[in-house]
Amino acid sequence: MKVTRRQFLKVTGATVASFAVVELGFDMTATASGLKGVRTQGVKPVPTICPYCGAGCGLVVYAKEGAPADGPQLLSVQGDPDNPINRGGACSKGSAMMNLREIYNPETGEQEINPERIWKPRYRAPGSDKWVEKDWDWMLDRIAERFKETRDKYFEHKDENGIIVNRCEALASMGGAALDNEELHLIAKMNRALGMTFVENQARI
Amino acid sequence: MLKMTNLYDVSKCTACRGCQVACKDWNQLPAVIEPFTGNYQTHETTNGDTYTIVKFIEQIDDVKGIQWNFLKFQCMHCFDPECMKVCPTDCIKQTEWGAVIKDYDKCIGCHYCTYACPFEIPQYRKRQDITTKCTLCYERVEEGLTPACARTCPTGALQFGEREELLIQARERVKFLKANGFPNATIYGEKELGGLNKLYVLTDTPDKFDLPVDPKVSGNIGFWQNWVQPYFGWLIPVTLGASALSFVTSRLLANKAPAHTEGGHE
Amino acid sequence: MGSNAAENHPISFKWLTEARDKRGAKIISVDPRFTRTSARADIYAPLRSGTDIAFMGGMFKYILDNKLYHEEYVKWYTNATFIVKDSFDFDDGLFSGYDPQKRAYDQSKWAYETNEDGSYKKDMTMEDPRCVLQLLKKHYERYDIDTVCKITGTPKNKYLEVVKAYAATGAPDKVGTIMYAMGTTQHTVGTENVRAFAMLQLLLGNIGRAGGGVNALRGESNVQGSTDWALLYHILPGYLETPEAKKHSNYQAYVDALTPKTGYWQNKPKFLSSLLKAYWMADDPVKSYDYLPKRIDGKHYEHIALFEAMYNKEIEGLIIWGSNPIVGGPDANKEQAALYNLKWMVAIDLWQTETSEFWTYKAVDRPTDKDVYGIKKPEEIDTEVFFLPACNSYEKAGSVSNSGRWMQYRWQACDPVGESRADLQIVNDLMLRIKKLYEGSSKPQDEPITKLTWDYGHGDHPDLNIIAREINGFEVVDGKPGKLVANFTKLKDDGTTASGNWIYSGCYPEDNGKDEDYLARRRDNKDAAYPGTKPIGSYLNWSWCWPVNRRIIYNRCSATPEGQPWVPDLTSIFWNGEKWVGNDVPDFGGTKDPNGPGGRDAFIMRPEEVGCIFSKRNEGPFPEHYEPWESPVKNLLNSQELNPAVVIWEPDKKADPEEYPIIGTTYRVSEHWQSGVMTRMQPWLAELVPNVFVEMSEELAREKDIKNGNDVIISTTRGDIKAIACVTKRFKPFNINGKSYHEIGVLWHFGFNGFANGDPANRLTPHIGDANTMIPEYKAWLCDIRRA
Repeated sequence: MKVTRRQFLKVTGATVASFAVVELGFDMTATASGLKGVRTQGVKPVPTICPYCGAGCGLVVYAKEGAPADGPQLLSVQGDPDNPINRGGACSKGSAMMNLREIYNPETGEQEINPERIWKPRYRAPGSDKWVEKDWDWMLDRIAERFKETRDKYFEHKDENGIIVNRCEALASMGGAALDNEELHLIAKMNRALGMTFVENQARI
Repeated sequence: MLKMTNLYDVSKCTACRGCQVACKDWNQLPAVIEPFTGNYQTHETTNGDTYTIVKFIEQIDDVKGIQWNFLKFQCMHCFDPECMKVCPTDCIKQTEWGAVIKDYDKCIGCHYCTYACPFEIPQYRKRQDITTKCTLCYERVEEGLTPACARTCPTGALQFGEREELLIQARERVKFLKANGFPNATIYGEKELGGLNKLYVLTDTPDKFDLPVDPKVSGNIGFWQNWVQPYFGWLIPVTLGASALSFVTSRLLANKAPAHTEGGHE
Repeated sequence: MGSNAAENHPISFKWLTEARDKRGAKIISVDPRFTRTSARADIYAPLRSGTDIAFMGGMFKYILDNKLYHEEYVKWYTNATFIVKDSFDFDDGLFSGYDPQKRAYDQSKWAYETNEDGSYKKDMTMEDPRCVLQLLKKHYERYDIDTVCKITGTPKNKYLEVVKAYAATGAPDKVGTIMYAMGTTQHTVGTENVRAFAMLQLLLGNIGRAGGGVNALRGESNVQGSTDWALLYHILPGYLETPEAKKHSNYQAYVDALTPKTGYWQNKPKFLSSLLKAYWMADDPVKSYDYLPKRIDGKHYEHIALFEAMYNKEIEGLIIWGSNPIVGGPDANKEQAALYNLKWMVAIDLWQTETSEFWTYKAVDRPTDKDVYGIKKPEEIDTEVFFLPACNSYEKAGSVSNSGRWMQYRWQACDPVGESRADLQIVNDLMLRIKKLYEGSSKPQDEPITKLTWDYGHGDHPDLNIIAREINGFEVVDGKPGKLVANFTKLKDDGTTASGNWIYSGCYPEDNGKDEDYLARRRDNKDAAYPGTKPIGSYLNWSWCWPVNRRIIYNRCSATPEGQPWVPDLTSIFWNGEKWVGNDVPDFGGTKDPNGPGGRDAFIMRPEEVGCIFSKRNEGPFPEHYEPWESPVKNLLNSQELNPAVVIWEPDKKADPEEYPIIGTTYRVSEHWQSGVMTRMQPWLAELVPNVFVEMSEELAREKDIKNGNDVIISTTRGDIKAIACVTKRFKPFNINGKSYHEIGVLWHFGFNGFANGDPANRLTPHIGDANTMIPEYKAWLCDIRRA
């Protein structure tokens, strides 16, 4: 991946001046008031594309290197100045991308994982009014079995005219408009292999 | 030292509020969620965890019909900051390039600055017992970056640079706007209060944007400076000792303490 | 028009602002209410929801009457010159060939006249009364400005201002663009609304040119990709039709029925064959074609149909990849009730969507007693629900395709939260487990699974590069991947090549073991210009764009019939005497002489090879104004009230205008997104718009004694919701044929979870859709409103 210096928040020593020239157009290093922050040290910039509308703005995720896996890892998410679509701009949604993972607690001001994020798979039994946490293997095995049960029960190999139709109309797949292309390729492939005809995404709603 | 500032051109602002969020992202500010009261505007004014807001003002113009005016509103970084003068703990400073900043370690949440401010910008943050405001992202600027709000602005309504150069741009823009359907277009911040280190290009008179036409330092300032400030050295240990007293002093001193959570906007 | 770009695609205003400042562009906003887009527009004109075709029809008439169209362009690049058979006719809202029983047309009545050699009969003077241009003129004769404004409620002076400003882009040296979104599509005439835009742009010569086009502002980061990948019932990846049982019973029948004799789609068998090889690599495509599911001929499978089938207990299992239909689906109460009939459901998302919790007590709450579809409590719901936590877009890696078809890569920036996983890992793991369950089966019906090629590496996480190469395509040697193909022109129909999606073929043309082999990862942002021209914003080395990195499709139109730029400053491609060169990849045989045979056939994907002003859609070849299904007024242009070709699912739910006199519409705001789970869960965005609100005029508020900020109840035949009143000067009553009508607008994004919550607006919207796509009518329906 090619990342220009503009995406780095912090560069040290001699590079500061030229870095400043890029974003501000002139050198500010002479003005140091002694109030400089140290927040930007040890932060790596990673380019991404906004997950909201279809414009495809570039953003840079500034992630703290070496932060614990189960806690906050981000400094900031800002528009990518190199992306020709937005040239560093970001609207309210793009600017709020950090909240997709982390928030600041309104009581304490502390940075923490967004409490709405789900950490483990959840299962709801028929008739129940609550979730139960389960592990991935338990869930995926059971889901695979459900697919097989429903498919085997309703699958039509040939229709009433003897035409091979290989379809299962009791299975349906929805969504996908926020996924990555590579994911879509596999989901499309899986859906057709299972014989699904009810396949719909957000393009039609 | 040249002054560095933001130029905000309302004629290019779409009120997407990227600036309001980018400010929170960079300054590590929690959300302050208040119920919707009938206007898109989130808060009556700034608050302890919201340094910048966008105001939404509906106007009927005799010629143009409906106008929806947007205004990014935050600390104006006055050339001659009244807040700095009244601060009893001397926690407010002005950088050489014009940012008015606070040292929160020294702030005692007394609200002097709020009361003294012609725009009532500094607001109280309860969890730390301090008053806070926009810093013009001085630590970003001093590392060679533009303030978070200017960096994020999608339409170029917000720019950051040398004030003198931005003023030239602003004058050009006002000239253009006057010739293109906005006869009342004007610059705000060039001369108000002896000069603000925030510049605005407005498409109409300042009152149409909820800005004071001729902002003045509060008349009560005399009372503060003559009666309260001399005794503040004495008050400090008391306020530090009892947070209840801080409440009392703030009520005593700032009859306009933040009351931004209630009521409609229109 | 049909989009509120400043609010919902804010970055677009960066470029509109620049166009205005640097090039003197004018911005026009046409919207039922005055929006943030309108606030920054040069001209604002209101129109009543659902009257876009009347609005456009008046423009056609004005442009034709005043001969403001781009004549050269129209003559060479559109079917305006084509002669239509006498069997085509139009009378009082109906075209020839209508069958009221089936609510469908016999479209063979609308055919072109052909010469003996099968070529199309044309009149290059465009004066023949049966040529498309003359038929167009005749059709829109009735759309005079007075009639149009009586229908749309647009003040006449504003309407004329819009028409004149936009028609000016018909000058050869001017370009105009139309930015549209759901305000255009989500109607019973949604497809015809878009068609009308395309026709306008063809008339004015604005398609295929830099700065022109009919721009669909896509609402989701990869709704383009998920359409290209055909997570839709009617297509396979790369816009190949899904087979229907009777019509396409085997490979040959499919190829015979669906391969046109002219245009680029002649190559369709190559793309189908390669897709089948990417799915079932060991099998001959003629055989593996049988593995594809065949749908029942003519049956509906669209979103609305899917939920109707579920409501009727025809569906047992549902998997949802990040979608929230009980907020975002039409008639959301019905869609919620439909979910009760599932035996099991799998939901994959970052958050607990309302849909994933349709069985909770939270989902039962309603502001009034109205309960049309029977809302159930947890103990009455037997559905088994699996929730799989997905990680977010920067906790994983992969590419997305934007509105401009740029395939941009996202690198992983940090760890997933908790045990959340990438969808890629989930689908891979799930399919491997399903394959395992079928292992050893010799039943022919299990072959689609047992023979499925599914080999994406052996780690926990599938190998992204293997997948990208399968998408790009390769030669198949001994049933295994061989050399990568350069692009889709190298694909074959004999089973010797594989490609998971032909339009993306070329995104990974060579394997040199480097990151940037996958062209989606390219980050060179120089906008280089061809010598002697100015850059046009192509950025050909930034990411990659389908097809074959072409940034503007149909770019043959960017040059005159003789092959020179219409405007020197806006050079897309041009003929240098030997070949096509310029600032884009030519959408045209690279060495095809503009003055030689076929040298002006600019629209290569059409069988006609020209842009279609006259084109077959389910409701006719020209857009005609029909009222929305629920409308308070009669159609002033013909005696058909409703689009004669739409499916009516719930006749009993049609509102009586006496009881529900107010026009309702829904829309999005800048600060939230779609069904809201990606924004209501973000505190910073919840701060910006914390509650669901309904916008209404001061006049309506006075009539109903509603004050700004009051809680109100909005009612339709489908349900009631509570919202906060936003009384505004920006919404005005419409004067329709001399009488005043009110319209209100409800925010779309809300549900019961998150930091910001409220009732879903879609509990109000009907289960009725467009006649071609069945996209739901979210934008015009009837309701009433009162203080809560």
